[in-house]
Amino acid sequence: MKKFKFLLLSFMALFIAFGMTSCSKDDDPKQEDDPTIIQDYHFDLWVALDRHGGMGRDVQTLVRSLNSLEADQPEITFQGQGTEVNSILSLETILKGAYYYQVPVSGDRFAKYTIKDNQIQVVKERRFQTNTYSTRKYTHAWINDNTLVIMAANGDASKIIWTKLNADDMTIIDEGTLDVKMPEGGELFTTSGILTYRASDNKLFYFYYAKTGKAFGGKRVTPMMTAVINPANMAVESDKPCFLDCEMVGTAYGELLQTTTFIDGNNNLYIACVTDDADGNEHSHLLKIPANSTSFDQSYDGFTADGKLISVMYVGNNKVVAYAREDKIGTKIDDFSHYYTVLDVISKTSTPITFNGQRLAYSSGRFSSRMAYVNHKAYIGVDAEGQKPQIYIYDVATGQTSLGATMASGYYFEQIRVVEDVK
Amino acid sequence: MKHRSLSFLLFFSFLQMQGADPSYIQNTDTVSDFPDDAFALDEVKVYGKSAAKKLEEGAFAVNAVEITPNVNRSVTLNDIVDRTAGVKVRREGGMGSEFDLTINGMSGNSIRYFIDGVPLETKGSGLTLDNVPLNTVERVELYKGVVPSYLSSDALGGAVNIVTKKSRRNFLDASYGIASFHTHTGDITGQYYIPGTSIAVRPTFSINYSKNDYMMKGVEVWSEEEDKFIFTNKKRFHDDYFSLFGQIEAGVNNTRWADMFFIGVSYNKLDKDIQTGAMQNKVYGEASRNSHSFNVSARYAKNWGRVSTRLNISHTWDHSETVDTAFRKYSWDGTWMPSSGNELNNKGKTIRVYRRPLTVVNAGVDYSINEHHTLAFNYMLNRRGNDRYDRADRFFEPSNDIVTKHILSLTYSQSFFDQKWQTSYFVKDYINALSIGQSDDFTITGSDQIDKKNSKSYWGAGIGTRYTIWEPLAVKGSYEHSVRLPLSRELLGNGTTVYANLALHPETSNNYNIGVFGNWIVDDDNQVSYEANGFIRHVQNYIRATVSEREGMMQYINEPAIDIKGFDFEVSYWWRHQLQVALNGSWSDARDLKKYKTDGNPSATYKNRVPNRPWMFGNVDVSYTFNSLIEKEDRLRIGAAYQYIHWYFLNWEAFGAASSKARIPTQNITDISVTYSCKKDRFNLSLECNNIFDKLAYDNYMLQKPGRSFAAKFRIFIN
Repeated sequence: MKKFKFLLLSFMALFIAFGMTSCSKDDDPKQEDDPTIIQDYHFDLWVALDRHGGMGRDVQTLVRSLNSLEADQPEITFQGQGTEVNSILSLETILKGAYYYQVPVSGDRFAKYTIKDNQIQVVKERRFQTNTYSTRKYTHAWINDNTLVIMAANGDASKIIWTKLNADDMTIIDEGTLDVKMPEGGELFTTSGILTYRASDNKLFYFYYAKTGKAFGGKRVTPMMTAVINPANMAVESDKPCFLDCEMVGTAYGELLQTTTFIDGNNNLYIACVTDDADGNEHSHLLKIPANSTSFDQSYDGFTADGKLISVMYVGNNKVVAYAREDKIGTKIDDFSHYYTVLDVISKTSTPITFNGQRLAYSSGRFSSRMAYVNHKAYIGVDAEGQKPQIYIYDVATGQTSLGATMASGYYFEQIRVVEDVK
Repeated sequence: MKHRSLSFLLFFSFLQMQGADPSYIQNTDTVSDFPDDAFALDEVKVYGKSAAKKLEEGAFAVNAVEITPNVNRSVTLNDIVDRTAGVKVRREGGMGSEFDLTINGMSGNSIRYFIDGVPLETKGSGLTLDNVPLNTVERVELYKGVVPSYLSSDALGGAVNIVTKKSRRNFLDASYGIASFHTHTGDITGQYYIPGTSIAVRPTFSINYSKNDYMMKGVEVWSEEEDKFIFTNKKRFHDDYFSLFGQIEAGVNNTRWADMFFIGVSYNKLDKDIQTGAMQNKVYGEASRNSHSFNVSARYAKNWGRVSTRLNISHTWDHSETVDTAFRKYSWDGTWMPSSGNELNNKGKTIRVYRRPLTVVNAGVDYSINEHHTLAFNYMLNRRGNDRYDRADRFFEPSNDIVTKHILSLTYSQSFFDQKWQTSYFVKDYINALSIGQSDDFTITGSDQIDKKNSKSYWGAGIGTRYTIWEPLAVKGSYEHSVRLPLSRELLGNGTTVYANLALHPETSNNYNIGVFGNWIVDDDNQVSYEANGFIRHVQNYIRATVSEREGMMQYINEPAIDIKGFDFEVSYWWRHQLQVALNGSWSDARDLKKYKTDGNPSATYKNRVPNRPWMFGNVDVSYTFNSLIEKEDRLRIGAAYQYIHWYFLNWEAFGAASSKARIPTQNITDISVTYSCKKDRFNLSLECNNIFDKLAYDNYMLQKPGRSFAAKFRIFIN
């Protein structure tokens, strides 16, 4: 009996020890900061045929689903393969888990889709009620896994409207107008602004600015404003101008093509902004709203390199993979002036990604960030001059870059998206 | 007594005909009461070629469509030209809807429209092939690729010239039509010579109205009960169309100082509701477009022996506006809910006004050196203003642009071997004069790269030749290096959504045509006519819209464009004056020539077939005419027409799985008609059923055209 008790206790001790060992993995900062650990997923590659997307362009878009982007995969082509989506879907989309969410090209509904077997499958659609949105021109945030908030300026850009959706069945939970007043001197709000949610203090942060109503875009008359919103009732708790005379790097299309905000493992909120320098060039800044604060840390700027941040993707461990533009090389959508770099939000360094000791070539496509992150790896697509589009795989843990799959030339390589398989 | 029959084949330059339209018109008169020793004929058959037929047998590739056989029917010029070889009219809906006419693969701004050699736009922006009064038109000439220099046009893909009737007699022609979808049409035209003078007065009045409330099949409507969008059939509810055209001309014919001199005024008004956007699930219930225009013009022509001269002067005040002030979102069931923005683009309220004064001067001098050689000089001035403002959008910045074009052409024509071989050579000089005031956004508009007051000249040239081997077999070929100058919108933007591109180059194209045609009079009862044409278009500096660097802004840019090759044919058969069978078919293959993407890397679509354009289509028309059925000199004509348009892809065909690709499906449309005319065509009644099998059809992706419809038209012609 004693022998049995001893064996039992020994087994329990081993089990507990094993369990504690397993739990201790959760304490690994890499795991803790990583929200993307998923088991069953695939990649959706989005390409355009006629020109790069962005800026409201109607482009002929194809999506091809692939299980792997490793180097051993055959060259990726869209000849007779992939799903033609542009008569229904916009390139600018929300993706969460296994589903795409967007205001489709019909412009009259909220919708939830999957792309499977070369078909777009409607999961659920919901007709607009009071607030109506334009395809592409809105910003969004997830309050939780099932609650999606859509926000944008109304038609004449005189107010900000919002709609809260149940992402499961796309029912409209609530909608209304944000209680922010047009700043003095302003006539129009930004088309969509940038909305993000921080769970640690349960706040929505809405970044916007006001501009004049002149034709050809108007001029910004305020710095970037930050409205802090209670997600429960959408009440504006504060609305303050930024200490820096800057604007968000993307103002019209939310984060449907590029990501301009993120929250690090310590619940600091970051946003990529841009100022117009005296020399006429744009210069980006990575600003921070510390955890438990609703104001910017005026002493912090996490981007010290030249040029403009286009998209930022937090990959854990205080590291960000960023798609940035070297303005000295070119500022047009098609210029081969865009590069991938790793930002460290602590040291504020920017380290361009290399392969075999060589810096990755510059890419074209201002809004074509081609970045995805899954299971400790960042997948980036380089669309360089005179070369076939090439995918590289950046291992966050080691900082090493390996070669991924190659795409046939001829396409405008727009996006890499990680999509969970539908269970 | 020996009786013999003789047939004389005579060619008339201008022979106006009524009734059926064989390529050769046969007039039969019995000859009798001659002395016994005279050379006796029992009948004389005189065959004359219509002006349209003569034109088609000229050196250029052209469809010349006689309107007279269709003047009693409830059709528009668009309906008629859509049935001809190599031509396709893509419509977005019913009467008055937007349309795009394609000639041998080229369309849109590449095609220019004229009425009697003067740009149709002089009659106002509201007058189109949809509402030109049919009973004023003698024929429509559709030039494919190569455009004769007398039109003084910068057309790239072809030109449409509406030739009006030039009767020298008093007449009154009036018609009223009623059709499905609450459609009513009325046309009155006439001519009156003041007794004792050579002064003629020509009034024309036309009115068209339609609710266009035809059934839309399978449109999406939100169902609260089922909690989803369901597909159902609903009638269009906001597609009213109203057009009015009035014109009066007065002048003289055959005086000492003028063969023809007319002055005229015209007024055109158009109101059009807007039902859908570019897709049928964008439904509007309030937005509309309205326009009205007023035109004064003068025409003069005089033949001075070997020299003939002509002059047209016209000025048009054109006013149009787009009204979009409702913050509503409509559904196909006609219901609406409040919206955050306007209907057309979910933005602010807008009443956009365009004032576009247009001055056109067209002059020509022809000199006949001898019977074999002719020289012709033509000049056209086209000055277009573009004054824009908005009555609802306080942020809109008004602007006023002016573009002036001068087009000069010189043509040398020769004719040998009793006119069996005819050749024309021509050169054109296109001068684009700009006066640019704007200098903002120079990095986008290129205003810092050009002279603000500049005048640029571009040259074009061409040749057309035809040789008749014998009557059933003739060949022709033509070539033109053509130039299309940018439109004011393309060059100067529109002040709101389109940036200027002052560095924009004109489009150029090398157009090649080769054809074979002939007429075979088998016997007294049977005739066959045929024509086949092959063509190549090589377009460079193609002007297309792109979205610029800033939000929502477009800009026109130059791009290497497309290569188009293809052929079309038409065969017609007549039995007596009674049975006519016509068959035509068209095939074209347009390839993208853009070798590199906008970023300089190779393009996947290089040499791929250009999508979203019909590339194979054809028509069959059959009609039979019963003569003297009820009383002498009456006619009953029954006809059927079938149109086939092969399906085509909306997007590039080579890319994406076939199952996922959007298509514009095959169209099989059959129309039938019955027309009864009596008292020498004085009274005419026509009954029609279009799309008799009620087939779903659309030319533009999911923008449905009307289903089965019925029409009746009564016409009276007095002269």
